[in-house]
Amino acid sequence: MDDDALIAAVARGDDVALRELFQRHAPWLAARLRGVLPAAEVEDVLQETFLAVWRGAGRYRPGSAGGWLWGIARRQAALWLRRRGPAELLLPAVVAADGQDPGDPAEEALSRAELARAVSALGPEGGSARETWRLMYVEDKPVAEVAELMGVSAGTVKSRAHRARRLMRAALRHRAPARQGGGR
Amino acid sequence: MNGDDLLTGRYDNAGPHDVDLNRVWLGVAAQVWCRRPGPVERAARRLLRSPGLARALVTTPSLLLGWVIATAVVLIAGAGFTLGTGQPWVALLAPAVAAVGIAYAYGPGIDPSWELSQSMAVGDRMVLLVRALTVFGLNAALGLAASAASGAAAAVTFGWLVPMTAVCALALAAATVTRSANVGVAAGLAGWVITILADQTAEGRYTAAVTDPSLVLPYLAFAACCVAVVLFATRTPRGTQ
Amino acid sequence: MNVEVTDLTRKFGRTRAVAGVTLEAGPGVFGLLGPNGAGKTSLLRMMATVLPPTSGALRLLGRDPGGYGPRREIRRRLGYLPQQLGYYPGFTVADFVEYFALLKDMPPRQVPRAVAGAIEDVGLGDKARVKLRTLSGGMLRRVGIAQAIVNEPELLLLDEPTAGLDPEQRVAFRTLLREFGQRATVIVSTHLVEDVAAACTEVALMDAGRIVFHGTPAELTARGEGSGAAGDAPLERGYSAVLAAARSTVAARS
Repeated sequence: MDDDALIAAVARGDDVALRELFQRHAPWLAARLRGVLPAAEVEDVLQETFLAVWRGAGRYRPGSAGGWLWGIARRQAALWLRRRGPAELLLPAVVAADGQDPGDPAEEALSRAELARAVSALGPEGGSARETWRLMYVEDKPVAEVAELMGVSAGTVKSRAHRARRLMRAALRHRAPARQGGGR
Repeated sequence: MNGDDLLTGRYDNAGPHDVDLNRVWLGVAAQVWCRRPGPVERAARRLLRSPGLARALVTTPSLLLGWVIATAVVLIAGAGFTLGTGQPWVALLAPAVAAVGIAYAYGPGIDPSWELSQSMAVGDRMVLLVRALTVFGLNAALGLAASAASGAAAAVTFGWLVPMTAVCALALAAATVTRSANVGVAAGLAGWVITILADQTAEGRYTAAVTDPSLVLPYLAFAACCVAVVLFATRTPRGTQ
Repeated sequence: MNVEVTDLTRKFGRTRAVAGVTLEAGPGVFGLLGPNGAGKTSLLRMMATVLPPTSGALRLLGRDPGGYGPRREIRRRLGYLPQQLGYYPGFTVADFVEYFALLKDMPPRQVPRAVAGAIEDVGLGDKARVKLRTLSGGMLRRVGIAQAIVNEPELLLLDEPTAGLDPEQRVAFRTLLREFGQRATVIVSTHLVEDVAAACTEVALMDAGRIVFHGTPAELTARGEGSGAAGDAPLERGYSAVLAAARSTVAARS
């Protein structure tokens, strides 16, 4: 069965078709999400993605199944990040990963450049905001460990992270209006 | 266990190595495969303080919506006949209908899988008790409503509750001893019809079975015997080779 | 020790189905072999708290199943697959497994995931919402296994679990057993000797209500060597040799 037929079957309530769809597409979706999220979050987002597929298969119009699936995954990732609060800083990374087409070099270059600009808005390397961002969101360390490494309290770490988020958000708002809808 | 099963550990080469796709699928399947409990089951869970007992209750065949509607229809028809003919049909029908319902309280998970049910933390006797009481209560309520609506005399309206207890007990006893709901139904209905006819022959009217006060004690005694039979039939050392 | 049985007896009328069995079992896969009528099912039923013993002592998961409270605790941690398992035809596979998961007092929040896991473990992932009346005998047996394992039992009792399974399914099943055997006590009653050879770390052979052999599969095989007993495989020869010896002893005594 091709993907279009599978999704149509899912829309009719066929859970075996959903299972088949999962077997086919979960690996690459997971890989793509893994590029922007830590492993545990990938699992949760992927689960929500396929539940959204189960519920929303009726709205699929035959065409690009892969694109449709990635669209759902991206939306779920964004929802997840929004709910999780502190991790929303990864949003630009999700936006960056969301090229119109996988492998569109211009879009990717643009996203990377925007991200680099946002990061540089955090101040010089080694500065408190940038260092906090690096430890917490690039290296995925928990608050307690970051606090220990930086020699400050957990509360200080959290307020520095908050400041870093503010700075990045402000920098990102200077992006082209067309991209704004894809993010927040 | 089938050859082309792609789950249970076969995701080793697919996807990122630190993402457990099997676990993700189980999370999806859990939501897709399992029935979310409806309002009745949720209420039953709180009331009975046991999710297992609540599930056993809502899967009782004679408590499923179709069955309840059928019961209501029969009783409403009875009420209609009563209003039309003056004979207290509801009083005669209600015990029969209840007996059928009770026999089928001995239903899924109990009858076919009785040996497995006996190894469950939620005991099978408890399940039977809860189911039987609920079916009885529901039938009594429906019957009372139909009876009152048909304008029958108070003696008749309430009078059939006692024979209904006896007939239900008989149906349940037969069902548990033979482990067959159908036998229970047959026994209950046969017993009730015989009682009605016997009393009619003795006293000349159909309602004798329901309104004669001297029958109350025999009915209750009979019911008690049947309950004893049920307890005996559902005891643990049911060891057959 | 999850199972401690001391001189356990069970009588039906004048027949002694189980005549003084003593054994202990900790984590691992324990095979219970024997011909039909040897008393394996009755022994398993007693361990499943479905049948009370006539005499002797039984301790399961450190508790005495005679009392109501402990028995209920044991049953929460127990998985049992009877030899004959009836199915309510209108239920789906998921309904059936979920029903018994709830009856085992599993916390409702854990139930859906546990049910999904059990169904996938027995390879019925593509039949989860199919009605039981449409399934074959082997698939129904696997549904039975699924309900037995759904609550991650510490004591798993399986009576003829491979009946109706094809060879490939039996291999997958043995893998499942070995996995469970790492944390739980699994007791498998079977008359198929090869099931035992592949999965069990310990074997007991029953005949006429008694245990006539208790040891490893290798030891059972050794008993068959050079004895000229019947059997195509070494373990089968050991089985026949032990049975023959046990019966001649009984005959000599009487």
